[in-house]
Amino acid sequence: MIANLRVVRTTFELDVKQQAVDLFMIFGVLIQPLLIAIMAIYMLSERDASRGIYVVVGSGMTGLWTSLLFRGTFNINAERFMGTLEGIVASPSSLATVVMGKTLASVTMSLLSMIFSYGLASLIFRFPLSVAQPVPFCLSLLITVLAFISFGLLISPLMAVNLSLSGWVNALEYPMYILGGFLFPILLLPGWSNPLSYVLAPYWAARVLHATSSGGATLADILLSWAMMLILGCIYVGASYRLFKIVLRRARVDATLSLM
Amino acid sequence: MNAIEVRDLRRVFRATIGTIRRRTKEVVGVDGISFDVREGELFGLLGPNGAGKTTTVKMLTTLLIPTAGSATILGHDIVRDAEAIRPQIGFIFGGERGLYWRLSAKDNLRYFADLYHVDPEVARRRIRELLELVGLAGREDEKVEGYSRGMRQRLHVARCLLHDPQVLFLDEPTMGLDPVGARELRQVVKNLVSQEKTVFLTTHYMFEADALCQRVAVINHGRIVALDTPEGLKRHVEDLSVIEVEVFGIAPTMVDSLRQLADVDTVSVEDRDQKQALRVHSHLGSAIVPQIMQRLDGDGVRVGRVTVREPTLEDAYVRLVGGEA
Repeated sequence: MIANLRVVRTTFELDVKQQAVDLFMIFGVLIQPLLIAIMAIYMLSERDASRGIYVVVGSGMTGLWTSLLFRGTFNINAERFMGTLEGIVASPSSLATVVMGKTLASVTMSLLSMIFSYGLASLIFRFPLSVAQPVPFCLSLLITVLAFISFGLLISPLMAVNLSLSGWVNALEYPMYILGGFLFPILLLPGWSNPLSYVLAPYWAARVLHATSSGGATLADILLSWAMMLILGCIYVGASYRLFKIVLRRARVDATLSLM
Repeated sequence: MNAIEVRDLRRVFRATIGTIRRRTKEVVGVDGISFDVREGELFGLLGPNGAGKTTTVKMLTTLLIPTAGSATILGHDIVRDAEAIRPQIGFIFGGERGLYWRLSAKDNLRYFADLYHVDPEVARRRIRELLELVGLAGREDEKVEGYSRGMRQRLHVARCLLHDPQVLFLDEPTMGLDPVGARELRQVVKNLVSQEKTVFLTTHYMFEADALCQRVAVINHGRIVALDTPEGLKRHVEDLSVIEVEVFGIAPTMVDSLRQLADVDTVSVEDRDQKQALRVHSHLGSAIVPQIMQRLDGDGVRVGRVTVREPTLEDAYVRLVGGEA
């Protein structure tokens, strides 16, 4: 157990080091949320300046999702291209442990998005920013991190088991912004799409973070979102456990661990 | 006791070809090979490119599941007991991949030590010792992307020894290294055997196998065509002489035409700048030279120097793989 936690910690530390010099990740985590925040701020400035916190949380969520999606998709494939996947698979550590460390690194890096958007909105645009319910907000953020890690654990093997899926990664980016209710409530969407949102942990994360930051969240609302994130997180972890087994078995049968 | 036991191991690869009418094509990588490697032995698997060496290593290191047959490492089955095998083996695949180029050598080693669950205190000491062993001490904080090919290969050696494995698989470890780097690496490999490690080495350099290995299996087209000590392999060509002919622009069809001569055993060609070295094995010795010259003359091939010499170990290898080396 301690050895596995050490693997998660070292993977996290070294992945952050590598991401810090990865221009694509810098764009996804810092530049893109910045562009989205500027666009949203201008959209809101004519209407309701007090909604600045909504923009901060929303654009931060977009950075979180972009980072998770792209890193999750290419976590395993990047190791394959570097020729390090065989070294990981042939070690006593599980691939899932390594992916967990990498996902934790992605989520941590993306939380920078939120801080960056916060700084941008409060300093440059001088929007009034205050979190209405700070304690529930911080706890929600913590559970959000767990839910996103579990979602990342699902994405990595799913993309590795079917390589053609990774070609759709760009197409998956914006639907989550919409279905997750990152930038506007899903009530604005047609009713038939709402069940899709309900099975996505990022939706519950966005819902509770928006509610606790803007104010007016009831205890029942908060608990419902937390419970949904934890339940869906457990389901994602269970599914990813099966997927990792399938991925590794198929890779050993189909000889896809390396570019032989 | 045997460290490695291989019985009728076979691996078939399936590839899909065609866009509209898709068909599956089967390629046999390894075709029913059997051998044993004793504990503490340095065993060589020698063969030309595409003979099945890497496929064999990948199966034995649990990275590839065999299509048929079985193998055990230290008594554990490579398919059923992969998790029991992994902490006890180390491997290097030839080439520069397999390391994190954006990280330093030290970070790479620290990471792999954690992956192998090496105690952090032990890992620190081992990393220091191994960096000394492979000659990278003092350069450990530099990023791997700035390393030369030889340095990366030596870092691979350090990586593979981090968890003190009992059995080592070295797949063409000197591939692409300069002569000095290759010699240093061979010395490291020799030292491993003195530490009672079992080493399974693949190479397509006969001299490397001769210099390092206690026994050598020669593999060609996925099958083992000979398994003996280097001295034993040399006896395969005791009855032959080697006729080396310097030629200019010989075509493959002309080489085939020489192979048709009654007393010719094998024929191989090696490119040397603008000329080629034609090597003919025959039990007739210099007596076959007139026939060869007549055939080359008839084909209009320009001929340079002709020499007749005793066979070497490399000739034994060329004969075993049918001139494909």
